[in-house]
Amino acid sequence: MPLAPFKPATALTMGVELELQLVNPSDFDLSASASDMLHLLGRDRFPGDVKPEMTESMIEIASDVHTRHAPLLAQLEAMRDALLAAGDRLNVALCGGGTHPFQRWFHQRIFAQPRFRELSGLYGYLAKQFTVFGQHVHIGCAAADEALYLLHALNRYLPHFIALSASSPFFQGVDTLFDSARLNSVFAFPLSGRAPFLLRWEEFEQDYFAKMEKTGVVTSMKDFYWDIRPKPEYGTIELRVCDTPLGVGRAAALACYLQALCRTLLERAEPAPAEDDYLVYNYNRFQACRFGLDGALVHPKSNETLSLREDILATLERLAPHAAALDSGAALEELRQVASAGNDASHLRRQHAETGSIEGVVDAAVRRFREESA
Amino acid sequence: MTEMLTAVLAQIAWPLALALAWLAGEFGHRWLALPRISSYGLAGFALAASQGGFLPDPAGGPVALLADVAFALILFELGYRINLGWLRANPWLLITGIAEAYLAFYAVFVVTQALAMPLLPALLLSSIAMATSPAAVVRVVNEERSSGQVSERTLHLSAFNCVLSLVAFKAVVGYGVLSSAGSVLQALWSSLVVVLASAALGALFGVLVPALLRLLGGLARNATVVFALAVLLLTALTDAVKLSPLLAALAFGLAARQRRVVLSQVQRNFGALGDLLTVLLFVFIGAMLDWRQALAGLTLAGAVVAARLAAKTLACALFARLSGVSWRKGALTGLALTPLSAFAILLLEQTRHLGLALLDDVAGVMAVVLLLELLGPLLTRWALVWAGETRRREEA
Repeated sequence: MPLAPFKPATALTMGVELELQLVNPSDFDLSASASDMLHLLGRDRFPGDVKPEMTESMIEIASDVHTRHAPLLAQLEAMRDALLAAGDRLNVALCGGGTHPFQRWFHQRIFAQPRFRELSGLYGYLAKQFTVFGQHVHIGCAAADEALYLLHALNRYLPHFIALSASSPFFQGVDTLFDSARLNSVFAFPLSGRAPFLLRWEEFEQDYFAKMEKTGVVTSMKDFYWDIRPKPEYGTIELRVCDTPLGVGRAAALACYLQALCRTLLERAEPAPAEDDYLVYNYNRFQACRFGLDGALVHPKSNETLSLREDILATLERLAPHAAALDSGAALEELRQVASAGNDASHLRRQHAETGSIEGVVDAAVRRFREESA
Repeated sequence: MTEMLTAVLAQIAWPLALALAWLAGEFGHRWLALPRISSYGLAGFALAASQGGFLPDPAGGPVALLADVAFALILFELGYRINLGWLRANPWLLITGIAEAYLAFYAVFVVTQALAMPLLPALLLSSIAMATSPAAVVRVVNEERSSGQVSERTLHLSAFNCVLSLVAFKAVVGYGVLSSAGSVLQALWSSLVVVLASAALGALFGVLVPALLRLLGGLARNATVVFALAVLLLTALTDAVKLSPLLAALAFGLAARQRRVVLSQVQRNFGALGDLLTVLLFVFIGAMLDWRQALAGLTLAGAVVAARLAAKTLACALFARLSGVSWRKGALTGLALTPLSAFAILLLEQTRHLGLALLDDVAGVMAVVLLLELLGPLLTRWALVWAGETRRREEA
């Protein structure tokens, strides 16, 4: 199946997908309840989109296409409230976070759908280890080449999103010392990582995708687990490195940060992206996963080492006029506070230290998901 | 030589029976996909003296107390998994619980009356029939690692109907024993006191033990042993002062869970210790049964089992949609509530000190228990499989 033609979208529109955890409120382990939740949610109109994911203990919500922060946030909150109401009736708790802190992947049940069963058959334990929870942000692009330009121009900012969203310090019952342990699971897949450096859609389509398809390794864009990938059917690029934050407010803020960044990148005032930018890419990404906001960042053009936190704060500062134009000042202000006060990963570590138990971490995540309505 | 063999056999009767039952459990599970507890029970039944086996009647002995402990551990675990907040959020579930328990009582009572059973045994049998064996549902859910609405609801409803059944049973016993003495009111009162005192003692443990755990801090991060010891103590204590160890253990688990003083992981089934005691519990139950009495009450048992099954399935299906699941999952929940044996036997066993041999007197109980010993866990397992809440075999 050849690549779908790139369907241009309104520039800088945004959409958010969140993979959420379904948790048993008694023992805090993952609860295989997606089918039951979807059955109950199917009785009423859901304020957005909700669908099953790979395993039965995961549910995915998606927003409509938005241009502004306030309506995006309102929709995410409405979806959260609908999920919480359904969960209360079924004794299912919901939470964010990139990983479940102590679930054992070999206990997960694969959702009964042909595609998921196929993936499970192909990837074996990787598929179950992939019980991790991410936020995906789509940004609309007016043209295919613009999408590829943005995709590569964002390479230097990718660690920002990892560090700001990181919420998966615990995995399989231990503190991994990573702020985002989730991404380590993603990297295990053969087609993960960065997209090839091609800036023209024709080249991408013919010189890359068609060749890859001929090898038989891939059949559609869905087979690529890249950090950022184009989505021609929607006319968007899709950022996939974020952990699902503990609250939906943070998710909306991250989407708006990406939107504002794309707005400034489209002015093309910065030096154009180059293949050599990717020399430091994996190192920077590791720093953000491992150390979060305390990580270091090597600037791909100047090769100077920066503090990730300082770089985020400086970027937020620089984006202020764009945020004003997009009405997303509040979103960027929230992220400024995250950069100074700490991300979700440090919040979860504090909870672990206070309660002394790994269940306490899940309990805190469940409470945060419900409480955060500001 | 034969004498010596007999003596040795008598000495090792229980350990040998447990080992054989365990083997039966493993093979039954592998070859026939039988829940392990069904095989344990059947092994106990087959090896019992009343069937010509080498296992002596265990009633009243130290094995009975151990069985109580085993059951108390399971009840604690059940209580620990109950979320009372769910009932507030979904009152239809509470209504389902009350409806299925009392409908089962009523259906069984009608059947026994139709078969001309005397009033007192009929009432006792009906109140026992309200309950679902928590041991069976907890073990089957854990064995299948099932998770979903049928699993959750079966566990919660089992806890409710046990409490309802216990209250009804104590009331009937109190009424039956003392009505001849003239003071019915006093009889009911003393039953109520037993129920309340047992629950209060359990709840007290549920407050004190977590507090102790918090005091110990990092020392007791895995609380399994601490809770197991507390359950042991609680069972011995309630047994000594003639309270209900079952209700106390359930209340202990409930209180420990609801108060959430500490969030600590308790191993499912209490780990290997729980596994071992479960073998003992079900062998014990099987060994209490006598095939002659079972055979005598078979007709009655068939009718009672069918009426009870119909009542529970109907009630659960009736309120399914109102409580947020499909009618199919509701009916499957009712089906999963079939197991009975462990709870009934221990309940009856504990009335022995009242001078009642109810297990022998209430005709048909034996047969009901025997029938459900095999059938109950199997139906629970099927219900969970049909609901799609277990792991598929190919993925195991």
